[in-house]
This record gives sequence, C-alpha cells and structure tokens, in this order.
Amino acid sequence: MPFERILVAIDGSEASDRAFAKALELADLTNAQLTALAIEGPLPAYAATVGEVDEVKREKDLFFNALALRARQQAEQAGIELAVELRAGHAAEVISDFAAGGGFDLVVLGHRGHFLRDHLLGSTADRVAEHAPCPVMIVR
Amino acid sequence: MSDIAIAALVAGTILVASTISVEVGLSVALIELLLGVIVGNAFHVDVPTWLAFLGSFAGIVLTFQAGAEVDVPQFKREWKASLSIGLVSFFAPFAVVGTVCYYALDWNHRQAEIGGLALSTTSLAVVYAVLVETGLNRELVGKRLMSATFVTDIATVAGLTVLFVKPTLWVIPFVLVSIVLIAGLPLASPWFFERYGDRVIEPEIKLVFASLFLLMWLGGRANSQAVLPAFVLGLVMSNHYVKHRKEQERMRVVAFAFLTPFFFLKGGMSVSASALWANLGILSLLFVAKMVPKFGGVYPLARKYTAPHATFTTLLMSTGLTFGTITSLYGLNAGIIDRTKFSLLIAVVVLSAIVPTAIAQRFFQPRPEAEHEQPGERGVAPMPPAPAREGVGS
Repeated sequence: MPFERILVAIDGSEASDRAFAKALELADLTNAQLTALAIEGPLPAYAATVGEVDEVKREKDLFFNALALRARQQAEQAGIELAVELRAGHAAEVISDFAAGGGFDLVVLGHRGHFLRDHLLGSTADRVAEHAPCPVMIVR
Repeated sequence: MSDIAIAALVAGTILVASTISVEVGLSVALIELLLGVIVGNAFHVDVPTWLAFLGSFAGIVLTFQAGAEVDVPQFKREWKASLSIGLVSFFAPFAVVGTVCYYALDWNHRQAEIGGLALSTTSLAVVYAVLVETGLNRELVGKRLMSATFVTDIATVAGLTVLFVKPTLWVIPFVLVSIVLIAGLPLASPWFFERYGDRVIEPEIKLVFASLFLLMWLGGRANSQAVLPAFVLGLVMSNHYVKHRKEQERMRVVAFAFLTPFFFLKGGMSVSASALWANLGILSLLFVAKMVPKFGGVYPLARKYTAPHATFTTLLMSTGLTFGTITSLYGLNAGIIDRTKFSLLIAVVVLSAIVPTAIAQRFFQPRPEAEHEQPGERGVAPMPPAPAREGVGS
C-alpha cells in the first residue's frame, strides 16, 4: 500500500480546496487514513487591547469551525473517514511538526502563488516541502 | 495645514493602518503609532487641539476597556501567586528607571516618575495574544501570568493617579463621584441596559462615555487623573460585559473605529524622529533600565510560581504598550516631559512590546499540555465565504 496516513492542510482558499479534493481521491484509491489540518494564522502581534485579540480570535474560530464542518461533509459524501485537527501558529512550521509527530507518510497542500512574497520569503508549500519528514504533494 | 486637511490626512492614515494591520498580522495600534511617527515627521504636523482632545478621551476609554477585560474570577483564584510577581514587576522597573532618569539623565523628580511609570508597565493585551494563540491561557502558567499582569496594570494606573495629584477641594467631588459611579453603575446597568440597550442609538455606550467624561472633568479640576477610577469602573463592569458580549462588542467597535486610532496616531505624531536618532544611547539605557529589573525581580518569583516556564513568564512580564503610551502621553500633555523625553519613552515602550515577546515566542514558548480543541467541538457557525487568508494555500 503506497500511503497509509495522509495529512492534508486546509485553510478555506481555492488552492486548499483543490488540495483537499485531491487528498480525498488519494485516500479513496489507497484506502489511507485521512487527516485534515486547519491552521489558524497568528493573532495580531503586539496587540494594544484584549478586545482586538478577542475579536480576531472569535472570527477565526467561527471561520475554522465552519471550514471543519464543510470538510467533514465533503469527506462523508465521498465515503471517506476524516479526522480534523485545528492548530494555531505559522502554517509551514505547524504542518511539518504535525506531520512528524503524527507519523504521516504523505502531506498534501495547495499552492496559491503570491509572486512577490514567494520570491522574497518562499511560499508555505516550499517551506513544508523542505522541512516535512515525508513526501509532500503540492496541488496547483 | 488647516484642521480639515489634518483631519483628512489623519483619516487616510487610520484607514491605511487598518489595511496594513490585516495584511501583515500586526496589531492596528502598533501600526497607527508607527504611521503617526512617519506622518508627524514627514509633514511636520503639529497635533491640533481637537486631535489632542479625542486622543485624551480615547486614552480613558482604553483604560476603561482594560479594566473591563480583566477576568475577575480567574484573578480571585490566582491572586496569591500573582500578587508578588505583579507587584515586583511594577516596583522594580519603576524604582530603577526612575533612579536612572533622575541621577543619570538629569531629569527632574516628576519627569523621572513619568519615566518610571511608563516603563514599569506590562501589556495585558500582548501577553493575552501570546497565551491565546498557544492555548496556554487555559493552563496554570497562563492564568497566573494574566493575573500578575493585572496587578502590574492596577499599580500603574494607581501610580499615575496618586503621584501627580495636586489636591484642591475638587478632590472631594472627584472621589465621591468616582465611588458613586463605581458602586452604582454595576447596580444600575441591568435595569438601564434592559430598558434602553440593544438599540442602534446605543444609550448604553453613551452612559459609559458620559460617566468617563464626568470623571475626566472632575479629575482635571482636582488636578488629578481619571485613569484609576476609569480602570476600576471597567473592572466592576467586567462581569456585566461577560454576560452581555454583544454590548462589549459594540463598545469595541465604537472604540476601535473612532477613538483609539486617534490616541495611537496622536502618540506617534508627537514622536520626534530626529530626537530619537540623536539620543540612541539614552534610548538603549532606558531599555536596559526597564528589562534588567524586570528580570532581576520577576525571574526568581517566576521560578517559584510558574516553573518550569520562568523565563517565558519573565519575558512576557517585560512587555509594555498601552499603559506605557497612556502614561507618556499624560506626561507630555501635562507639560511634565518634553517631546524628546516623550519620544524616548514611546520608543522604549514599543521596543518592549516587540523584543521580549519575540524572544519568548521564538525560544521559550512552552508546549501546552492540552492542545487546542478540535473545531467541531466548539459549535459550528454558518459557512462564511472562503477568504484569501495567509496560510497553507500560499
């Protein structure tokens, strides 16, 4: 069996939707366990008020709860059992750490493409590909 | 530059600050401060009286909100462990910075007190963001940190109110009205908010603003500051806001949209970039004078109460932003410190928000025992449109 544990990163963008669809196909083909990892980006750094942090956190929670529900519904329709995990932090670091800690043998993620940022800093996909402990599939 | 031209410039800058904040993930207040420095120095804009007035009121609103955002039940549970950390976190830098300002920098007594107060603060919001982001706010180390931060904050606002008071007979009505509001508003709120609240004309926000303006006026007549009663008023209202989240949210909307930007922008516009450049040595000295006593005082206590996260605790207790800015602006507005001293204090305050936080997060951040809950466990909201977020799809 080529893959037994697949990790797919989701964030609600079109790129991650494409990656999630591809991960569902792969899980179906290989009968692998599929886990979706949703990463809440950082909260406003160096905030001046608790209110600013609270409101952003609340918005993120609402968004990611809905995202998790949608992922579960899509997986159910595809007949795939899906575990959903939520983590906070910087995407590339969290995905790599989670993949290493969970013993995954494939990471699937989307590539959105930001010309300036990708060239200056490197994309999240690039950084995961560099640091993940297993093969990485980047879906365009 | 005419008033309306300055208003247009300020409004545009506030808008730009909001968009930058969303794009780069930094707090809007910090961006407003930094853009204020750029605008103030590039356009050589003198802060007009209307902006100074709005900024002063916004400072009091920020203080009220800081009180209202304290988790009082949590503080009651953790106050014994947090009291010593919080008090040392205030008094150690206050004493050291004050001494450095007075003896080494030749500031006068009142200027040294402003310097000591501005650099003794700990930023509840900066600490809170780090803890929430990592889930540590649900663990003992996070709860004790938050409670200790509250102690430091209340020591700061008490110092600002008490140290600079020049008593007149007006102190009597100031104190009496403060007590009446602090005792009465939580009692009157349920009825008032039930009767008049939840309307687009927002009588409940107007009630709070009227109370704060009254405190500001009486505080001014008493040659004192309204920060302490404003903070305590927020504190006694915190339980009400816990039960009425929508009201708190609307209050935040009004404050963040129309008031606090003026406060931080005004703070930034009052900073002299050339004075900072000419005094980099003093800037470094003041930064060290804040950090060293924070470490010397807080670290031993943190080893006792928040071990094994003592360094993380100490670094976060060394942060500062809002109350440091409020104190510095008070000193500037009251004519106690000049623009150069104000610029130095604000620069150190901003540095203290960034440097210890970044070091704590990068090198000393504990892994929470209980990781974040799964999304489905917190209830599910209607699906929002898929936004273009910085994240895994990038």
